[in-house]
Amino acid sequence: MGVDSEVPDKPLIRPDYRHVYPVGIILIVLIGVALGVRHWLIPETFGQFGFYRGAALEDARDHGMSYVGGAACAECHGDIVAIHDKDAHGGVPCETCHGPGTRHIRDNDITMPVPATREDCLVCHRKLDARPGSFPQVDWQEHFRFLGVADTNTACVQCHSAHEPLFMDRDMRKARLHPLIHQCGDCHLGRTDPTTPRPDSHPQIFQCDYCHPAIAASRDKTSHKKVACSTCHMFVRENSFSGRIVRNADPRFCLLCHRRTPFKSPAGPPMIEWPGHIKDVAGETPDAKRSCTDCHQDNIHDMPTKVKGVPHAL
Amino acid sequence: MHCDSAMSRREMLRRLVAGASGCLLVSVLPSLAGESEKNSKGRKPLYAYAVDTARCIGCCACMRACKAENEVPDGRFRTWIERYRVRANGEVLVDAVIDDGFVFKDDKVPDAVKAFFVPKLCNHCEKSACSQVCPVGATYTSPEGVVLVDQKRCIGCGYCVQACPYGTRYIHPVKHVADKCTLCYHRIMRGMQPACVQSCPRGVRIFGDLNDPESQISMALKQRRFRLLKPEMGTHPRCYYLDLDNEVI
Repeated sequence: MGVDSEVPDKPLIRPDYRHVYPVGIILIVLIGVALGVRHWLIPETFGQFGFYRGAALEDARDHGMSYVGGAACAECHGDIVAIHDKDAHGGVPCETCHGPGTRHIRDNDITMPVPATREDCLVCHRKLDARPGSFPQVDWQEHFRFLGVADTNTACVQCHSAHEPLFMDRDMRKARLHPLIHQCGDCHLGRTDPTTPRPDSHPQIFQCDYCHPAIAASRDKTSHKKVACSTCHMFVRENSFSGRIVRNADPRFCLLCHRRTPFKSPAGPPMIEWPGHIKDVAGETPDAKRSCTDCHQDNIHDMPTKVKGVPHAL
Repeated sequence: MHCDSAMSRREMLRRLVAGASGCLLVSVLPSLAGESEKNSKGRKPLYAYAVDTARCIGCCACMRACKAENEVPDGRFRTWIERYRVRANGEVLVDAVIDDGFVFKDDKVPDAVKAFFVPKLCNHCEKSACSQVCPVGATYTSPEGVVLVDQKRCIGCGYCVQACPYGTRYIHPVKHVADKCTLCYHRIMRGMQPACVQSCPRGVRIFGDLNDPESQISMALKQRRFRLLKPEMGTHPRCYYLDLDNEVI
């Protein structure tokens, strides 16, 4: 087969790529531009930690603080903090009522706001149906009526100090442990008399007078008949089974109701001048350790554990 | 011949063992290095949040604190409190404080059989819908598990506001970018508590490190019953609601 030999020898044409060059250059320029634009658009730290700008974390961190925390307040106001921490408001941070403290710490001339109106207190203590029943809530109109407060512009802080509203001691180790649920026999043994009123339902039977009928009967003979047991014996629930009873014997607690003030009317509880009362009645100098119940236990209820009639002179 | 073959087998075994241990070393070394890095920095935190709903009294101290701490614009909220009231016929009434007075009105629902407050905030989801829809990578999850917005990057398109199943985002009326709860990132990175946690008078809000088994939040989640909001959305929220009623959505 002489086919190969029949093909005439043609001059070898080298492939011509010149037409590709402009396209190539345009492509390279475009890629370069795209890379440049990409570099320009994508922030430097993008992708450092993930699909976001790493420096954004710095931005988020770099923000001033307004709230400084109670420890900072205690550095200067330790005396107030000590009083505050042991009373009913002990768990409430300073800045919750007084607002953020940064500016005051930087410049002492900038004073902290002191909320003193009734509305300020009612922010937390207004009676609302959605508030937990265990939280102290006040219907102020009913409260005023009960105490004979005639002036409706009276603020809570005129009787209750915001730092120690109830003059109680929150140290629960000192408070008496009181069970919520007894053993069956605690109530049912010795109570077989059919005339004993039966409770409608068990959770509701644990009213104070059910177990302490003698004290309740004694209380009902006194002028404190309308005062609920838990008004003075504050019950702090600890768990499903028990709680602690804080018996408030601080004279200032009694004075919350009984101190004479211009805004109270005679329709309320008997009022006394304080601290002149002790001097006027017993001719003594006021003693913070003295409790009103030292003399007035008969006005409260029968207190078998206390020795009656201890004179101030002792 | 027999001897040669034994030697070569021994040699082969030696090489095999050497090769295997070499491979093992190579595979273990990076993780060893990682471990040592982790240990030197201490355990890496994973921050989360819990809300003890049964304790909330609806005083709105958290909302006031959040506003003051983060300069939240008027009429917008990074955290808020909802009041749920369920009537005898099963109807659920929900309201919230929508002005800046921060006080719930004393309007009683006469036949309400149960009522309670529920604080709400960004759930800082593990698989956050907001991060997934962001077209520019402005919403992201920090290494500590906090979902944040890069406000320099955000273009204010509002996709994330629509995507969030919990309604926790808004467009900032002045900056025109998405804004939301940062868990007070600037505070927690300095070892402080978020402002809402710091100011709560009832200890309703619990913040802490899930990687620390002794932290208050870890203990609360071990010991208490809790619920997540809208778990069916698959966002894996890191905001845990203790003792929450089923009515809450």
